[in-house]
Amino acid sequence: MAQIRIQNVTKTFGKFDAVQDLDLEIEDGTFVALLGPSGCGKSTTMNMLSGLLEPTRGEILFDGEVVNTLKPGDRNIGFVFQNYAIFTHMSAFDNIAFGLKVRKRPKEEIEQEVRQVAQLLGIEEMLDRRTTELSVNDLQKVAIGRSMITKPGIFLLDEPFSNLDAGFRSYMRAELKKLQRELEQTMIYVTHDQVEAMSMAERIAIMDRGRLQQYGTPDEVYNQPANRFVAGFVGSTMMNFLPTTLDHTGDDLVLTMPVEGARPVTVHPRSAEDGDDAFTMGIRPEHIELVDPGSAAAWLRGTVTLIEALGPRNIVHLTSDRYVLRVVVAPTVRPRIGEAVGLELDSRRVHVFSDASGKALV
Amino acid sequence: MKALVTAARVALISLVLVIFLFPVYWTVTMAFKPADEWTPTSGKIYWLPDQPTLDNFRRIFGGTPGGSASFLVSTPINATDSIVNSLITATFGSLLALVVGTFTAYGISRYRAGGNMLGFSVLQLRMFPPIAVIIPVLFLWTYLHLFDTRLGLILIYGAVTFPFVVWLMKSFFDEVPREISEAAIVDGCTQFGAFWKSVLPLVKGGLATTALFVFILNWSDFLIALVLAGNKIVTAPVFLSQINSAATGQEFGSRAALGVILITPPLLLSILIQKHLVRGLTFGAIKR
Amino acid sequence: MGIATDTTTPADGVPAVTVLPEGHHHRHISRMLILPGVVLLLLLVLFPVVMEVYISLTTWTPTSGSQWYLAYRDWTWFSNYWDGLTSPSFLHALLRTVVITIAATGIEFLLGFGLALLFLEKFLGRQVLTVLFLVPMMIVPAVSGFVFYLLLQTNGPVNYILTALLPGTVELQWLTNPSLAPISVTLVDIWQWTPLMFLILLAGLMAVPEDQIQAADILGASWYQKLRHVVMPIVKPIILIALIIRGMEAFKIFDAAWLLTQGGPGEVSSTISVKLYREAFQNSQWSYVAALAIVVMIIVSVAASQAIKPLEQRQGGAS
Repeated sequence: MAQIRIQNVTKTFGKFDAVQDLDLEIEDGTFVALLGPSGCGKSTTMNMLSGLLEPTRGEILFDGEVVNTLKPGDRNIGFVFQNYAIFTHMSAFDNIAFGLKVRKRPKEEIEQEVRQVAQLLGIEEMLDRRTTELSVNDLQKVAIGRSMITKPGIFLLDEPFSNLDAGFRSYMRAELKKLQRELEQTMIYVTHDQVEAMSMAERIAIMDRGRLQQYGTPDEVYNQPANRFVAGFVGSTMMNFLPTTLDHTGDDLVLTMPVEGARPVTVHPRSAEDGDDAFTMGIRPEHIELVDPGSAAAWLRGTVTLIEALGPRNIVHLTSDRYVLRVVVAPTVRPRIGEAVGLELDSRRVHVFSDASGKALV
Repeated sequence: MKALVTAARVALISLVLVIFLFPVYWTVTMAFKPADEWTPTSGKIYWLPDQPTLDNFRRIFGGTPGGSASFLVSTPINATDSIVNSLITATFGSLLALVVGTFTAYGISRYRAGGNMLGFSVLQLRMFPPIAVIIPVLFLWTYLHLFDTRLGLILIYGAVTFPFVVWLMKSFFDEVPREISEAAIVDGCTQFGAFWKSVLPLVKGGLATTALFVFILNWSDFLIALVLAGNKIVTAPVFLSQINSAATGQEFGSRAALGVILITPPLLLSILIQKHLVRGLTFGAIKR
Repeated sequence: MGIATDTTTPADGVPAVTVLPEGHHHRHISRMLILPGVVLLLLLVLFPVVMEVYISLTTWTPTSGSQWYLAYRDWTWFSNYWDGLTSPSFLHALLRTVVITIAATGIEFLLGFGLALLFLEKFLGRQVLTVLFLVPMMIVPAVSGFVFYLLLQTNGPVNYILTALLPGTVELQWLTNPSLAPISVTLVDIWQWTPLMFLILLAGLMAVPEDQIQAADILGASWYQKLRHVVMPIVKPIILIALIIRGMEAFKIFDAAWLLTQGGPGEVSSTISVKLYREAFQNSQWSYVAALAIVVMIIVSVAASQAIKPLEQRQGGAS
């Protein structure tokens, strides 16, 4: 249990800024996902939190105390690596016991604690086995157990489940979530998979190229993306983007898209334009409906090019003018390829982004 | 606290460096010392040559300068020839060991050739005191007219360092997953092609390291060249040990001069391959 | 890079070596590959050993005038062996060589390991220093032999430096004092070959997976705990290999011993190789030498096969 404050932290390697001016406050006991594509700086941030790297500028505070110069071993954290980093020459038991052994706890205490942890994770029978005999799934559990045993205040997990098979992955996600709630730990979970982040986290910090893009709840991040990057990154099927021009009518904006046959859309802005003149509008595939191409409500018309049948839903790909769009529809809706369709959108779900800064206006 | 540790480190490393390089420094300075500065008979030790001279170099490469006492070597060849002999025998002997050894190592690693025994018997080769092997080979060589020939030395050098190559290269080959050669074969290579194009490049580092060791071993050899050659074919180390003169007994200065020259090939070679050196050496013992 | 994704999961007795199936084609190739090696072995191992055994059972010497294959005329069964095994000179030489080997290899290992630990973390000039540290290895023993001969003279530089550093005058007779002579030989070997141990151990230490070290850091392990519990188990096989390689070579020390002291004074610094050399080329006792050589070979073979056992086990039987 610890509150984490990352204050204007920058990490530079030579000329390259891996993390730029990161400012984040994580409350005690929250499950936070650190989300972003490869190279966005999330691993670097984790390494700074764990103490394996020192920030070039800025401060990191645990419960109000600056920990920049504190050695990893003194920070009372647990760390689960992507590749487990299991001690290959020890048994599972010794791996888990390591944290306590290092603190010179008595043998009986160690024995008890390890068995308890193993029970929690469901690996008691494996304790005496050598790590070379364990399956990948069990190894990850051992890794988690090993990091738990010292009852750390903060848990850092660096893409811990990316090497597991899909079925086991969702199982582990649920288990981890349960664990976190039981132990009331502050947990920071790094991933590039936005589905994982959305399903597990109470708050998501999205990063791109070293900069924090948005920090908010899954709902906020999904429905009120702060900029174009977040909008495009979050969401199983990517948001549809189209260029647009803005006209003002009173408090509202009228969006006109340079697509043949497109109808203007009226939206209410959240923030001002700052003198930008090129804009992009975005609408999620889930927020569009297929209608009759001749219908008056159709905002756009297009031709179907592909249908992905995913089971619980279908994704219809279509082209309109020279733009490609995707629409999520019910599994029963199956237009034919080449069929002309109309699109109706929910104007309350439309987003507008400035091309220059990426910031969201709507 | 950190500064203290760093200071201690620097001190230790410097100390070791001094100890390691002191004899080298002595050799180099000796090469330039005139005869009266070689040994501290007069009680004075010459840390640096008082009167540096190139006489030593001139002497071993023929021509006595300024009328000093006659210069004898118990062999009728000169220094340049001995260096050439060393170069030829060491290089080709090493090549022989490398080629034969690498193929053998590949056979053992990939195909379990020779069962378990081959590996161990190869190792055994290295275990015997050189004398034990040299005497019989002396007879064999005489019978084959290989005694006192370059070819004879090359063959022996190759044979004697062959075990090293096998053992080292085998462990490097062991580290290469079989899928790599299989993939190459699927792509249409022959067995040999798979070996040459896909496996061999991966063990480049190991090969470089092995080559360096083997070359140094052969280049440094003294005993074998002493016994199995020594009249017409003299390698540099043997030549060096016999540089004497009537005037000064053991010609330390000349020996040092030659010694300095002899450092060059191994040094050059190790500089060439230095980036492979440290990476190459785990002998497959570390499983990741 | 999961740990359990090796090509074969080692259970007991199953080798962890990648081996291709024994098809007919493969057997053909494997024979071809090792053919030159086997020829080499036959010629240069089998023949010499057979010949040695043959001669060791006779009293033939090259000075007796006849060809070696006629040595059966001087058949004497095991008298050479008996003479050797009861000769204090031989037994002392054997013991001495064992002691020198253990001392040299041990010290080289400790020094090399310490240096390797120092070189683990990057620092300015590390690459250059690494090459410089290898220089002693690259000096031809014929050269280092006579250089140390000069350095270790009683009135030479080494004593001079020691006098400067230590109280009183240091006039150690490195090469002529019977107790010091073998030590001098050992010291020269240590000087020459510590770089090799340094190199091998450095490579081994650097190959330890970094994330395991990081995990240990985060769990609060001290430097010593990391070394003992994480690093050592991983580099143990390398250490063993390094010790075996160097031990085998150290046992055969010749150049340093011969050039420094000719095995003297007396026979005090004669290693096995020196002793055999003397008997062969100074006393012409070739059949005696042959017997001694056979004895040494047997001893070394037995010792080495014991030493390799832990290594073989680890690799699941693949030699």
